[in-house]
This record gives sequence, C-alpha cells and structure tokens, in this order.
Amino acid sequence: MLGQVVISGILSGALYAMVALGLALIFGVMRIINVAHGPLLMLGAYTTYFLSTVLDVNPYLTVPVSMAVLFAVGVVLERTLVFRVVDAPELSSLLLTFGVSIALVNLAQLLFTSDLRSVEYLTGAWVVGPFALSKTRVVAFVFAGTLTGLAFLLLGWTKLGKAIRATSQSREVAMVCGIDVQRIHLVTFGLASALAAAGGALIAVIVAIQPEMGQTWTFKSFLVIVLGGAGNYPGALLGGILLGLIEQVASLFLTTQLSEVVAYVLLVAILLVRPTGLLGGRQT
Amino acid sequence: MASPPVLEIERLRKRFGGVTAVDGVSLRLEPARIYGLIGPNGSGKTTLFNCITGVERLDEGRVHFGGERVHGLRPWEIAQKGIGRTFQVIRVFPELSALENLLVVTRDRLAAARERALRLLRFVKLDGLRDEYAGNLSYGQQKLLEFVRVLMRDPALILLDEPAAGVNRTLLNDLLEAVRQLRDRGKTILLVEHDMKVVMGLCETVFVLDHGEKIAEGAPGVIQTDERVIEAYFGR
Amino acid sequence: MSGRHVALAAPAAVALALAAYPAVASGYGVRATLQVFMWIVLAGSWNLISGLTGYVSFGHVAFFGAGAYAGAILMSKAGWPWLAAALVGGVAAVVLALVIGYPCLRLKGPYFAIAMLGLNEVLRALVSYFEGLTGGGNGLSLPTLDATIPIYYVMGLTAVTVIALTYLIITSRFGLRLMTIREDEVAAEAMGIDTARHKLYAFLLSAVGPGIAGALTARDQGYIEPISVFPLATTITMIVMVLFGGKGTVWGPVLGAVVLFVTQEVVWARYPYVHPLLFGAIIVAVVLLMPRGVLGILQIRYRLPRTI
Repeated sequence: MLGQVVISGILSGALYAMVALGLALIFGVMRIINVAHGPLLMLGAYTTYFLSTVLDVNPYLTVPVSMAVLFAVGVVLERTLVFRVVDAPELSSLLLTFGVSIALVNLAQLLFTSDLRSVEYLTGAWVVGPFALSKTRVVAFVFAGTLTGLAFLLLGWTKLGKAIRATSQSREVAMVCGIDVQRIHLVTFGLASALAAAGGALIAVIVAIQPEMGQTWTFKSFLVIVLGGAGNYPGALLGGILLGLIEQVASLFLTTQLSEVVAYVLLVAILLVRPTGLLGGRQT
Repeated sequence: MASPPVLEIERLRKRFGGVTAVDGVSLRLEPARIYGLIGPNGSGKTTLFNCITGVERLDEGRVHFGGERVHGLRPWEIAQKGIGRTFQVIRVFPELSALENLLVVTRDRLAAARERALRLLRFVKLDGLRDEYAGNLSYGQQKLLEFVRVLMRDPALILLDEPAAGVNRTLLNDLLEAVRQLRDRGKTILLVEHDMKVVMGLCETVFVLDHGEKIAEGAPGVIQTDERVIEAYFGR
Repeated sequence: MSGRHVALAAPAAVALALAAYPAVASGYGVRATLQVFMWIVLAGSWNLISGLTGYVSFGHVAFFGAGAYAGAILMSKAGWPWLAAALVGGVAAVVLALVIGYPCLRLKGPYFAIAMLGLNEVLRALVSYFEGLTGGGNGLSLPTLDATIPIYYVMGLTAVTVIALTYLIITSRFGLRLMTIREDEVAAEAMGIDTARHKLYAFLLSAVGPGIAGALTARDQGYIEPISVFPLATTITMIVMVLFGGKGTVWGPVLGAVVLFVTQEVVWARYPYVHPLLFGAIIVAVVLLMPRGVLGILQIRYRLPRTI
C-alpha cells in the first residue's frame, strides 16, 4: 500500500517538477511571478488535443509541437507585454500576468467552449509485482524526466544555460559580462512556456481538458518552488517529487479536497519558517 | 558601578552562504562620542550596521544597547529603544512630503510632532520644501531629510551610513557641525565613511574592518599610521 | 460657497438623491444601484489593504464568501433576521482575516500574493467538505423575502462607511504609516514602525465591508452556492476598479466602481461572451498605461491632496 503510494507520488511528482521548473526559471531570471503559467499549460493541452484528434496521430508525437507552439506564444507575450514590467514593482508584474491569465482562459472559453475534452490513447495499467502503474502516468513520467533532464543539461552545459544562470544570480553582473539580458528574458519565458506546454500535452491523455484546468497547476507550481527554494533550480526537482509524495500520502487519509487544504497550510507554514524555501533559495 | 556603555558588541559573526561578512567583531561605544567605522569595500561595515539594527539576524555573538540585549529583536523594536540609522542608499519615503516623512516616524501628539519636525526642517534649510514630495527633492536634499528623520525620535545612538557621499562641501560642513552638536548634547554617533578627511576631522575613535574582522581601533592619527590598516587599503 | 463647503455639499447632495431614488426608480434601477454600492464596498475595502500598504490581496473575495456563508447559515438554519446576520457576516470575515493574516502578512510581497491566490481554492474545498452545514455544491437556500429596498439602504450605508473610513485613515498618521509600508518597508521598520501589526490592522479593516456585503447579497439573492460567492471574477473586478480609479485615494475606488460597472452592464448587454476577456485586457492596459489610476494621475499632475 505504502509502496504504491510512493510510486504514484514519484510518477506525478516528476510532472510537477517539470512544470514548476518553468515557473522557477521565470521567477529566478526575471523576478516575476507568472500567474499565467497554468493557462499556458492549458493551451499546451488543447494543442495536443486538436493535433491528435484532427490529424489522428499519437498524442505523444505532438508533445514537441505543443512545446514549440507555446515557446512561440511565450516569446510573443514576453516581447509585447511582460518585458514592460520586469523592473516595475511586484504589484505590476503580478497584476499583468494575472490579466494575461484571465484573458487566456477566457479566450480558450470563447474558442473552445467549456465542454470537457479528452484524448483517448493508452488505457489501463502495467502490473509490476504488487504494484499497478497507470500506463499514461508512466509514459508521462518518462517524458517529464527526460525533458527535465534535458533542461538541466541546457542549464549546466550550454552557453545559453550559463547565461541564464548568470542572469538569475545578478542581472547587473550579467550585463557587464556582455550577456544580452533582454534576449535571455525572452528565451527564458519561451522555455518556461514550453515546459508548461509539455506538462499540458502529457496530462491531456490523463485528465479532462477544459479552460480552467491550469489554475491548480499554477498554485502547485508555486508550492513546488516554495518547497524547493526560490531560484534554486535543482530544488524545483526535489520540490516536485516531494509534492507528489505528500499529495499521494495525504489522499490515503483525507479526501482530495482536504488534501488541497493540507497543501495550502503546508505552503504557508513553510514560508513562515523558512522564507527561502525548504531547501534554501534566494530571498527576494 | 559605572553606567553601561551605549553599545556593546561581543564577537558578532554573520555569514551569507559561504561568505563570512562579519567575523567575530567586538566593540564598545561610550556616550557622547563620535566614532568612525572604516575599511575597504566589502569589509562588512554595512552588514555590521544591519546586524546592530536588526535588519539582519546574527549567527553568533551579542549586542547590548545601554545594558539591554537587542540582538534578536525586530528592527522596529530596536529603533524604539533608541537606535537610529541612515542608509547607504537613501531611503526616504518618496510619495510622502518632506514634512510627512518626519511626522510619520513618531507617535507624539501631532502638534508637538509638527513643531519638532518644522524645527528640524528649518535646521537643514528644507522648511520651504516641506510639502514637496520627498521623491522630487535633489540628492543632497534627500540626504539631509533622511538625516533629520533619524533625529525625530531623539535616539541615543545614531548610525550614519556614508553621510558624506555625494554631498557638496557647504552642505557637508553643516552636516558635520550638526553631528558635533549632537555629540555635545550627549548623543553617540557611529559613522561609516570613505571620505578620510571627514573621518579624521570628526571622529574621536576609529574602528577599522577588513574582511569582516576588526584589525585596528584608536584615535584617527594613530590609525593612519597603523601598518595593518595601510596594508588593508593598499596591499603589501 | 467656499471650497470646503462645496466639497461637503456635493457628496451630500448625491447621497440625498440616492436616498430618494427607490421612490422613483424601477426594480432594475434599484438593483443596479445596489450592485454599485456593493462594488464600492468591495473596491474601497481592497484599497485599504492593497492600495495603502501595497500588499496585493488576491483572495479578497474570500471575505465576501465567508460573510455570505456565515450570514446565510444563520438566516436559514437559525432563523436570524438579515440585518443581524449581515453584521455577523462582517465579524466572520474579520475572524478569517485574523486567521489568514496573522501568518501570511509576515510573508514578503510576492509570497503573500501566492498565499492569497490559494486561499480561494482552499475555502471552496472547505465549503464542499462541510456539506452538512453549507449545503456543499448544492448551495444553500434562504426563506423567501423581498427585502431589496431595505438592503439597498443598508448596502448604501456600508458603502458610505467604507468611504468615510478610507478618508479618516488617509488623513491620519496611521494611514501615513500604512503608506510607508508601501514606499519602503525596510526603512519603515528601521524608523520604529511595527509594520506587521499595521498590516494586520489594515487587513482586518479591509475584511469587514466584504463580509457584510456578502451576507447582504446572500439575503438579496435568496440562494448561494460556492461558485457564486467565491468567484475569481469578483477579485479581478475589485482590483481593476481600484487600479482604474486610483489606488490609495479616497474616491478612486468609487470612480472605478461606477465607471466599470456601467461599462460592464453595457458591454455585457451587447457582447455577453466577451466581457471577461475584456476585463483581462483592461487589467493589462491599466497596469501598463496608467498604474496609478485616473485620480492617481490627477493627484500627481495637479498636486491634489490625497483625499480626493
């Protein structure tokens, strides 16, 4: 029983980690809380839905396409709107991304209606020993793990990645070192959107797709960042897994609704005790 | 028994991640004196100020103000006990008027507070600008405003972080004269300063920090010729 | 008449007109004005915490919902008269604000916003969980009663109280201290201001109005369910109204409430599906183009006192 819960926790945790990494990047590099993160994930899910139903392809093949589309969307959003509030007080960036998130959700409602959609592909579970592993969850885990791994490779080994990390540590120093900070912001926002889109694409086969589906993801991504520490990218990974585990364990004893309350109280409690996050990040 | 020193710091240590910004600093401040705190950039001076005023928490050590423990208290509690400070980067309240900047820091009856505030503004020749948004004042004017704002609460210990930076000569002389007058009224002043002429001319005792450690302490004339101090500033 | 007299006479005249309005107006007219009063209460209250201290409360509608449920439960299960229930709604909201505010206000800006964002979801979950008391997803019905006109007056009075409270705070040193939190919290603390306590007071004060308004609305609608009293749209609208009208001013929220409500009614009547999208666009536009709001801009440009 416990083993099953742990495995389920890790499976969903990887997804949380991947999506939260996007949010962590935006927060770390641009010091912006992107409330529109959830809606970006939702758009990724819809992209996968339409591609796979219209073109009748394996939804997993659409993951890179969803990512590319949302990368472009993210870049456009940053270039037109977000860049204007990067240096503004927190209220402005919060409200701006809030406004964008409302607009995106309602745009989706207009274009796609609130009807629930879903993508049927893999069903059932693989049975390994005493554990039943939902197939879609396992595949999502593999994708999420790979993409997160690639993201860390990018961050750690490429020139771009180093530039991103330098900018998150100190924008002024990065500029002095010749890094084009505007471009980094653009790319970071695009990357983050792509990661969110990947999350959406992967859960398109697991849950029902509707315009408001992203809201809890935004909140949970914040939770992950708090658990893992602001600006601490590997922390987002651990934070994600931790959240997955906590949720699964909580669901053993509590209804789903109460486990959300638990997650919330946890969030506030951690922030009070360790404002820099559980694993220690940077204080804003 | 002699009265306790105004400020007593014992083996204060503050770390930021891997860097030890203040490394076991101890010092005592007696009443009615002007002290200087100097050292090359990054030697821990502002961090020390932040630890004294509660903006940063100490990792080790103790701070006592007039015999009372102040380490671990919130900044506002420490300010209310009688320690005032200015900041390296000016922090007036930009969308409050000059007068309001002063009124807001005290809870005295409005009439008395107003009178005091206006007197202080006159003292630094800002009373004509009293209804101007503080954010619209010039750099020098904001600096003076921040200075008198500290005085509104009549603190026993005043910490000044680079009061001379960016201030023209005339204004500077007025400021220094004001500091001397405060000392004559029994206040204790500790200032961080890079301008050596100011330090030498004003301070009675100077502490020198380097890499978070106190490497020298004494009268300005003595400090100037101390080998370790010269090394810290100019290298070997 | 001296300037002072005009300043008092104008609002007084408006107040008198509004008091006489129900005698001549249609049912729709009274309902619409009642709604405007409600928005003035909500926007004006949000202004007390977020406009003055700069701490953006993203979950403020939680207080509206808490007041609505507290009032509704008392009215339907315990037969309380609606006026008393409305006052208790206000109290319930303040209690919630204390429970949430005490820990959360210690969090720095962005973290506070995150915590408040989650508040709504949590409250909705709690309402579903305690189904026996709250009727869960099915909602709660109140005994039928047509009290629209008395509620109009009470809501109007509440709106006037919120405006008056804002005026009193802004002209006091307490209000100045709240503003220093917005200007520079570190410096404020260094000057001896207990910012945590001040934030909490502002937060508590900002919860009363929505709490009462929630209970009054519940009585007026005769029925509440989670989605109707905890909608995100209410928070957004509150925020946009204050931003547009001018945060940190006395009449800004009023201006915003009136203008945006009228706009909303007009747009909604003609283009029902677009209006949430429009609101998102308005938020973005206001944030980028006029973050100080109409009255805020006038205030700075023409050096008007803060009490406009």
